[in-house]
Amino acid sequence: MSLLKEFSKGIYTQNPVFKQALGLCPLLAVSSTVSNGIGMGIAATFVLVCSNSIISLLRKVVPKKIRIPVYIVIIATFVTITDLTMAGFAPDLYARLGIFVPLIVVNCMILGRAEAFSGKNKLLPSIVDGLGMGLGFTLALFIISAIREILGNGTFFGIPLFGASYEPVLVMILPAGAFMTIGFLLGLFNWLENRKQNKKSAV
Amino acid sequence: MKEIIRYGFILMMVAVVAATGLSAVYNVAKPRIDEQKRLQFEAALATALPGSETGIMEPVQRGDTVLYYRCYVDSLKTELLGYAFRTGYYGYSSEVESIVGIDSSGTILGLKILSQAETPGLGTKIQEIRYGEKDPYFLRQFIGQPAATVSLDKDGGKITAITGATISSRAVTRSILQGYEQMQENLQAER
Repeated sequence: MSLLKEFSKGIYTQNPVFKQALGLCPLLAVSSTVSNGIGMGIAATFVLVCSNSIISLLRKVVPKKIRIPVYIVIIATFVTITDLTMAGFAPDLYARLGIFVPLIVVNCMILGRAEAFSGKNKLLPSIVDGLGMGLGFTLALFIISAIREILGNGTFFGIPLFGASYEPVLVMILPAGAFMTIGFLLGLFNWLENRKQNKKSAV
Repeated sequence: MKEIIRYGFILMMVAVVAATGLSAVYNVAKPRIDEQKRLQFEAALATALPGSETGIMEPVQRGDTVLYYRCYVDSLKTELLGYAFRTGYYGYSSEVESIVGIDSSGTILGLKILSQAETPGLGTKIQEIRYGEKDPYFLRQFIGQPAATVSLDKDGGKITAITGATISSRAVTRSILQGYEQMQENLQAER
């Protein structure tokens, strides 16, 4: 498979959120504003690329039976390193992204990619896979947080869109709004997929 | 049996390497993080007590712990600008820590949230700055209020709570009440 294909599959055909329904817990937690969503996406992409590369390099050393605990140690280590380095050397970035970094540990997308891809593939494809999946995750976060922020807060990137008379739909910012948004979007993507399948079989 | 020992050993080696790496990073980053925290605290102190940048800030200590800060208008130390104290109260999902500045009559001069981990998009609005503005709209309401009786509109006070984040909003008012009481006790103990 070509590298380009490894990269692009994460964006649509195997999008971690809309197609694999992975990494939903941090997604639901932080998708209340667009800037939060993109921040989480970037932080998760960074950790994903790092953990994918290390796991790919170690794939022949790590015995199959204990791969999961090894993966978890590697991922947790990278998350902590990211957290410490950011806090010490990029305080401005940390002020904005800091709260998302510990959440990445519970992102099953990262463990999922270790299990499904980088544990079986060479270094370069694993890095590309990490970038693609990370971008797909960021894109999904962007879409969901844009919907939630516009409806629930009347703003986009913190910029007010409507006049003062706009009454925000508060439920969209609350956890229930996150579940509704993700539910409708998953439904939409499944419907698109089914339509494509039906068309194929009709031909 | 042999297999278990072998796997256990490999797992241990991975953990040892990870721990070594982490401690190395920690040792490098720790002094930088402390330095950042100190700078952040100084900036917060200046927000809590406007005008303190040009004045003299004196920490009042008991043992090693700083009870509060006393700030004078200039180096003559005759005119008191006010006091600043650190306080905290548990909100919805975290301790909301802040630094509060008051004048000698107990009127709030300014405050700044030092740390919180409330719900993103809801509780975090206690320190949100609206587009095009310079200071958080929620905290701005506190300036000029008496620190001894400050409370939310829902509790009979004058502070408008953040919609959907009453508990986080209340944590701020409660922490000020608590911190102010502590402050009064400390002042009385000195006399």
